[in-house]
Amino acid sequence: MPPEPGTTFTDLALPDHNGRPRTLSGLVEGDPAVLHTFRGPWCPKEQRFFDRLLALQDEMEVAYSRMISLSVDPPEVTSALRAALGARWTFLCDPERVALERLDLRETTDTTHDPYVPAVFVLAPDLTIHARYDGYWYWGRPTVDELVRDLRAVTREIRADWAAPVPSREA
Amino acid sequence: MRCWLARTAERPTDAYASAPLRDTHGGGAGWLAAWRQAHKPARGAAMALAGAFDPDGEPAWASLLLLPRDARVRFDDTAVQRARQRILAEDAFDVVSTLVHDASTFAGSLVAARGDGGAARVCDDPFAVVERPEIVQVGPGLLAAHTALPAPTIERYGSSHPWPGGRFT
Repeated sequence: MPPEPGTTFTDLALPDHNGRPRTLSGLVEGDPAVLHTFRGPWCPKEQRFFDRLLALQDEMEVAYSRMISLSVDPPEVTSALRAALGARWTFLCDPERVALERLDLRETTDTTHDPYVPAVFVLAPDLTIHARYDGYWYWGRPTVDELVRDLRAVTREIRADWAAPVPSREA
Repeated sequence: MRCWLARTAERPTDAYASAPLRDTHGGGAGWLAAWRQAHKPARGAAMALAGAFDPDGEPAWASLLLLPRDARVRFDDTAVQRARQRILAEDAFDVVSTLVHDASTFAGSLVAARGDGGAARVCDDPFAVVERPEIVQVGPGLLAAHTALPAPTIERYGSSHPWPGGRFT
């Protein structure tokens, strides 16, 4: 079964776009995170959806949140895609499809590329899945507004000072 | 525990990690040292990212920007913001640390790279838009293997904490 909301996402250990070994928990650290699996740079739907993530990136960079994209492409392909997009988040590479099998996220209808099924997970810092969006059909993918709402909910949950501290009236 | 970075003429005896510097012609250029302690260890020291340093670290090429205290460059200056964005976008360095004097003042930066093209990569230091940095060879005993980037976050985790790295506790 693919990862479900309310469960803990597997702590992946994969190379990033530079070929450096990374873990999902290390990338998420103590922040809310968006984890995005995608078919590959050849897919027009993925190209279009990256526009949405790029729009969100400009807000996430000041909002203490992390973003990770994951595909079966090797680091050299992923690095070129990331640079061409202007993406500033981390891409993970699973060319051996080890994590793909473990997560049960294989797109079984594409026997040519054998890719990840498109999906988006919003994670809490402890990798608990707050929300999952299935993107096999394009309209299943989250809008920027939906992701903002999810990130707001996770942030509100984990930041004890969500309501900004105010001067004590008793002083 | 705070981490401090300073350039010194001699090897400091009380530093957590230190390494000799050489200029691009191979000439001696002093020492670069890091301390892990609460108080400022040396004149001109600035707070740095603790994870950028390792006493067992290997040599690297580095671009070093140490601004004088009276430079008064804000950490939120748009040039510093753009440099942080470029660091994330290009992800070309093994080690990255901004330096800070206090909650609002940018004190400089350190970026380092190893391997083929390491020298060329540090010559394209994104922080050069703030002020011209110095290119140096850093000897063994100071720089970590790699500093993780909090992609795509460019903000600090606490006003006096250097970027990248860190988390809210």
